Amino acid sequence: MFYLSKIEHTLPLPAPQLSRPIREAIHTELEKLFLDKVIANLGLCVSVYDIKSIEGGFIYPGDGAPTYTVVFNLIMFRPFVGEIMTAKLLSSDADGLRLSLGFFDDIYVPLQHLPSPNEFKAESKNSTKGTWYWKYEEQSYPVDDSDMIKFRIQNVTYPSIPVEQPKESKPFAPMLVTIFEKVTYGGIYFVGINRS
Amino acid sequence: MKILEANNGALTNFEVLDFLRAKGASKDPTRVLAKVAQSEYKVYDYLIDTAARDQTRESINEFLESVESHDLAKAEILNIINIRPTNIVEIFPIIECCDTRFSDEELTEIVEIVKRTLPPPPEDANGAEPTKSNGEEGGEQMETS
Repeated sequence: MFYLSKIEHTLPLPAPQLSRPIREAIHTELEKLFLDKVIANLGLCVSVYDIKSIEGGFIYPGDGAPTYTVVFNLIMFRPFVGEIMTAKLLSSDADGLRLSLGFFDDIYVPLQHLPSPNEFKAESKNSTKGTWYWKYEEQSYPVDDSDMIKFRIQNVTYPSIPVEQPKESKPFAPMLVTIFEKVTYGGIYFVGINRS
Repeated sequence: MKILEANNGALTNFEVLDFLRAKGASKDPTRVLAKVAQSEYKVYDYLIDTAARDQTRESINEFLESVESHDLAKAEILNIINIRPTNIVEIFPIIECCDTRFSDEELTEIVEIVKRTLPPPPEDANGAEPTKSNGEEGGEQMETS
């Protein structure tokens, strides 16, 4: 789930930060730059782990800020295909479910990967939102907010940033995780093995 | 920005939790004073509810030594530490080609090592009660309604 990535970056240190000890100041600047941001193919940056080296400190003409070349380690959240995780339900609609880890919300379960047999009951006539029910051994279990859903990752994509987006489309997600679902209801396990 | 090494090492949930704790993250009201960012706190809140909460370096080292004799891949060991499976059903999806590589006895042995060396997750008292009691309660509710 979490990996360390070694990054080298050149950054200017704004003049107001110069009165602080250099390591602290650079640490703050790196956090401002990288924390909670997605780097393509590396994942979501969780934290700056440590700083390996700081070099430079040159001041370019016309600039008040010294520029440093810093080598540092970042803790990245990067789930691998086949990994197993638990998450809470964020929303459910006719296309499937959306799950959230608290710090990461773009986990989608397309409807073909929900445990079957299942059925979908929409909230009201025109809304696309609703609840999914799983039918197991003659009983219908609803998938709702109180359940912790255990799942296996099928795919992680990093869609490229769109230049223009139509107005009603959902907010752009730089990192998308789609999954096979394996659900636990108060201790009863459904193990979804190969669904091909 | 240059990526020197995309994968400089995998971290268990415990290590990330330990790192955040060392920075000053905690559950109580003093959390606002720590130099921990909001996004880091969200990760902390997620991890504190997993099996990583009560793990220690010693327990993980003990687990690694005990499980060395079995032929498990690094990624599988990492997943087992993060998830802490308590029975064969839970460990089956973690291990690839599980039925061809391990027999039932070996799997039970691995599960026993997990239960012995790694501390149980916090809500084990409530959540992992024998499934029968939950099933029965559910059944009773169905009948009366």
